[in-house]
Amino acid sequence: MTRWNNGLDEVERVSPDITDETNALPARYFTDPDVHEMEKDAVFGQYWVYAGHANCIPDSGDYFTRTIGDREIIVLRNHDGEVQAFYNVCAHRGSAIVEETPMTDPGNARRIQCPYHLWTYDLDGDLASTPRSFEEAPLNPDLEDEDVPELDAEENSLMEVHSDRIGPFVFVNFADDPMPLAEQAGRLETELESLPLEEYQLARRIVSEVECNWKVFGGNYSECDHCQANHQDWVENLELLESELEVDDYHWVLHYKHKEDVDDEMRIHDEHEAQFHYFWPNFAVNMYGTADGYGTYIIDPIDEGRFQLVADYYFRESELTEEEEQFVRTSRQLQEEDFELVERQQRGLQSGAIAQAQLGPNEHTVHRLHLLAQEAYETYDA
Amino acid sequence: MSPQQQAPFAATCPDCEVTSDATEANEIVDFYRRHHRHTGHDVVVARADIAFDVPATDDVLAIVDALDARYEDGVPVGIVVAAASEQGVTVGETLDAIREVRLTGALAEPRDDHLTAV
Ligand code: FES
Ligand SMILES: [Fe+2]
Repeated sequence: MTRWNNGLDEVERVSPDITDETNALPARYFTDPDVHEMEKDAVFGQYWVYAGHANCIPDSGDYFTRTIGDREIIVLRNHDGEVQAFYNVCAHRGSAIVEETPMTDPGNARRIQCPYHLWTYDLDGDLASTPRSFEEAPLNPDLEDEDVPELDAEENSLMEVHSDRIGPFVFVNFADDPMPLAEQAGRLETELESLPLEEYQLARRIVSEVECNWKVFGGNYSECDHCQANHQDWVENLELLESELEVDDYHWVLHYKHKEDVDDEMRIHDEHEAQFHYFWPNFAVNMYGTADGYGTYIIDPIDEGRFQLVADYYFRESELTEEEEQFVRTSRQLQEEDFELVERQQRGLQSGAIAQAQLGPNEHTVHRLHLLAQEAYETYDA
Repeated sequence: MSPQQQAPFAATCPDCEVTSDATEANEIVDFYRRHHRHTGHDVVVARADIAFDVPATDDVLAIVDALDARYEDGVPVGIVVAAASEQGVTVGETLDAIREVRLTGALAEPRDDHLTAV
């Protein structure tokens, strides 16, 4: 049930089973700055988080950076052609090493060199060389040159971050001993790996800033009860009542049936439908069914009341055709429609009137999102 | 903010065609940094309602010099960015220019993202 904020602020846990009870995640988890800080560890420091697309760094030495919460990492392809991730932090005195380098405009380096005192690392993170001033001690009267210890390449390597892939999607995990990515991904891994995702190239990235908590947008993405009223152009060609919502441990899929069969050339999967995959905590893969390509969303928190939607579009060629341009524009229109909804919801949540909302019977996907958030907070507190 | 009142500042990415509204000038700079981090795109100032006249120049030192007296603890970088944008300069270009001048010692940053002429 809904709990209005009559000054008591009494809330319950997210209902364990949404068919019996309808408690949403309490409102303060969408509005409290402390929750935002806590999530950097409790959520983004514990689970597998999308880092980027392996196709953007095809050659050894190619790299991009990514910031998740407060952690800045370098994602690069090493000499063996493997993708690895490291903290962008020098083993000498902790300087950040490379400048911010977006996935859309990756860098290339034969080695990673810290600009501060020129410690230089191999592409596998091992310390490769240091300047003479770290091998001899002419300025230190208490130390003979021959007593200067040699720096071990591995012990003084960059700090690696766990990384793994589903097809070309690179994920990272900051926990010491994370559950395997395959476990968090469950069936999603098999579903995505059955598609030729790596045959498509990043063609467009659109980044928007939206004034709502990232979970508000995540929730909106996960249900289509709002579609009839708010996405009239889009639903015109869909059989909304025949959609299916499939829920797994850490991901859920919305299957939308098209009224009429769309051209077979126009999609990478073979069902006559659009598929929207949400992967906890903040990644989504969009198979539109009306374009030969796919899209991804990163729902990247800025603070408790804002996030960035990083929308990437993948097509056969990185150069967009006229139709694909139009397709991206339509997708963008859909986003704008959603932004209005989620910003309005955030305003309501922030007003302080509501302590806890309730979920509808077809919002079991949203329920999953809320439950996972609550579990993450509880595990972190424990 | 109700839809009727417009935020005094706004920045746009011409590549993404997205606009971000801002109450304070410095939020334009924050927007640029976040946007640039993800895309490498530069952004432009789309709106800047400043209550006073800004000098008609894109010379960042001259802008800070002219506005210094108005601020107790430094001119917000966003104001400098907005002033330079009147001359058609992008946010990224202005921030680069500021960095150059700071490295000569002619500009100082008394607090984060605020500038004074030295
Ligand atoms: S901090 Fe990187 S070389 Fe000194
Ligand atoms: Fe929507």
